[in-house]
Amino acid sequence: MATAEEIVDALAGLALFADLGRPELESVAHTFEEAWFPEGQRILRQGFSGTGFYVILEGEVAVKVDGEDRAHLGRGDFFGEASILLGEAPLADIVALRPLRCLHLAGPALQGFLVAHPRVMYRMLVDQTRRLRNANLWRR
Amino acid sequence: MAEVAERPYPPGDYPVVVVGSGPGGLQLVYRLSRLGVPHAAISADPAPGGMFRRFPFFQRLLSWTKPYAPAERGSRAYHWYDWNSLLAEEPEHRSLMPTLMDGTSSFPSRPEMEQNLALFAERTGIVVRYDCRWESTRREADRFVLVTSDGEYRCQVLVLAVGVAEPYKPPTPGFEEVPHYAETRNAESYAGKRLFLVGKENSSFELATGLLPWARQIVLASPRPAQLSVNTNSLVGVRARYVQPWEDSVLGGGVFMMNASIERIVRHGQGYRVHTRRSEGGAALMVDVDEVIAATGWTCPLRDLPSLGVATVGRSQLPAQTAYWESASLPGVYFAGTITQGSGGLKKYGIPSNSGAVQGYRYNSWVLGGHIAEKHFGIERPRPAIAPADLVPFLLDEVTTAPELWNQRAYLARVVSVDPEQGVRDEGIEPLAHFVDAPGGDAIAVAVESNDQAVIRPAIYVRRAGRVDEVLMEPDPLNDFRTPAHRKQLEGLLAGLGLR
Amino acid sequence: MPMTDEQKVALLRGVELLAGVSEHSMAAIAQRTGELTFAPGQRIVSQGQLGNGLYLIASGAARVQRGDEVLARLGPGEVFGELAVIDQMPRSASVVAEEPTTCLALASWDFLELVESDPKLALGVLRVLASRLRAAGERHHH
Repeated sequence: MATAEEIVDALAGLALFADLGRPELESVAHTFEEAWFPEGQRILRQGFSGTGFYVILEGEVAVKVDGEDRAHLGRGDFFGEASILLGEAPLADIVALRPLRCLHLAGPALQGFLVAHPRVMYRMLVDQTRRLRNANLWRR
Repeated sequence: MAEVAERPYPPGDYPVVVVGSGPGGLQLVYRLSRLGVPHAAISADPAPGGMFRRFPFFQRLLSWTKPYAPAERGSRAYHWYDWNSLLAEEPEHRSLMPTLMDGTSSFPSRPEMEQNLALFAERTGIVVRYDCRWESTRREADRFVLVTSDGEYRCQVLVLAVGVAEPYKPPTPGFEEVPHYAETRNAESYAGKRLFLVGKENSSFELATGLLPWARQIVLASPRPAQLSVNTNSLVGVRARYVQPWEDSVLGGGVFMMNASIERIVRHGQGYRVHTRRSEGGAALMVDVDEVIAATGWTCPLRDLPSLGVATVGRSQLPAQTAYWESASLPGVYFAGTITQGSGGLKKYGIPSNSGAVQGYRYNSWVLGGHIAEKHFGIERPRPAIAPADLVPFLLDEVTTAPELWNQRAYLARVVSVDPEQGVRDEGIEPLAHFVDAPGGDAIAVAVESNDQAVIRPAIYVRRAGRVDEVLMEPDPLNDFRTPAHRKQLEGLLAGLGLR
Repeated sequence: MPMTDEQKVALLRGVELLAGVSEHSMAAIAQRTGELTFAPGQRIVSQGQLGNGLYLIASGAARVQRGDEVLARLGPGEVFGELAVIDQMPRSASVVAEEPTTCLALASWDFLELVESDPKLALGVLRVLASRLRAAGERHHH
């Protein structure tokens, strides 16, 4: 369990929120809800509607497509945003590899949150761009 | 002395011990009794009712009971219109709430609710050892040992229905000086006062609503902007009942809503000076007031259980739970009542279950009782056969009228198993998260779901060869899914299971 | 003759990254773009240099080369540095004008300012990236 104060401290250390000042971080800490999942728990489910947005505070998750491990995500990583922004079900399961502490935002609240915090959106853009480069898709 | 000797459930060894006598505890004890699961029930309170013996502060509930509704009182379907009665097998013990209401509101008053719970306990013969306070806990071999004010209880299965009942105030300097919501005084005593309410959720809007005729000025402040339930299209946000202060603030009528963090509260003259910082822009603002009330929420009174390994989450210190409301980190410890909101389920579109409220957790208790009976005592649930020709009408009837599915959307599901030898069997009500995540044979689960646009529709989950697929059905303008189109869609889905 | 904002918007419409951007936001982007001209043989961007923006060829032709190896040839309407405008990663290749070439350029700092002043614009870009990432994941899969 963490107090809002501890969550603010944890947020301040994550790249996604690195440009936010203290009062804005507090607002974020009150907007997101803390969530905890035991090892083996599915957090996003492939093909299911109505998914949420998650930021990992502690722990590790596997990205699994049809049961096959594709990638691992850890502290500071986030997931769920693509399904929400595209209005499509996730293409992968997200499964906790060990006890996972994260922050959760309801899917329908994500766009409003990003618009209200453009610096967070910019960080998300940069992150997605890096992921896209890593996916080695880019032509030049 | 004779009276003391007659108190039930003396300290000792019991297969199951239930702690708490609010609606969640009462519902579970009722269910365990009817299933024949040996247990003891203890409560620190002197009488049944839990939080409803004191709260809500302004003495009226937020959960409806509609004395006149589309479904007949006492019927299963009526429970969707009556969120406050507990569930009973015996028809004469059902739908007690509407019989106790005076007709001034479709939301029962607190005393009516307390009476409803006491009457249920009395009529159904629920036995609880009252005035028995759980003080500490330890582990001895396969037993949990509860030290109470009456002595030690040992059990294999421990169920805590102790509410989310401990007032919480943030560690911010100055909060120790000001009262919590739970310590709010009579409304008249705030006459002519400038009031500062910390928090912008239902509890602070409830206080603001009740104090509108008394307070000179009301400020509601917290970092996060307030939400309205009619905007979130769910029970999330300030409920319609408490919107008046919001309207007053919009009109500039002496009520102020601020998005700001509270940095400290200091004594100032006869009152307080509240140092705040605006969430947007970060400007500092001092507010001088006569009274401050911290409507900053509650935590779960789990005592020493975290040190035994019960993982907790969030500001409310809710225990992390499995789909069947068992501690996710300490097996054998279960939860009932409003604590079960810690078992979040699928939380589609971020919409929580109703596990935090009576209309939701009474079903959790019902299902949990059956689960404990089956898992720990080998008392198997009935699994009546369904004729293949009856399956589609049965499922469409469930998604149209089943109160379990309507009160616990995307959370509880009706499950039928499909086995080449056993045929089609009704497995009863299960947590949806269990159905979609746990391994199992071919089966179908149906649930009622809504999205952020307030579209209500049936969802069908088909488990085939270990994989679960979600299929959303079309909504219906009258929420009646027993239409030819729905029948056709469901028949098509089931054809794949080799049933047709 | 310098391009009008309408001409710029028409060109920008062809940039896939900006596919989700509204009419209104596109006009704001157009106003932020600069028009640059390059002589044949002149380097537009250099391999290894910090990426500082997006280039869109309005007229002319250019080649993409890594060392001496020519990777591609670009003509009017084609774009490069699309991702650098967001993450400023060093250029993985050089682009050299082969004819008198005019480019529309959007600097990364201007892009950041646009995101801050018009966050909905960024939502559109985010969506394009998300769907490309999905496509990349699927490609990887098969």
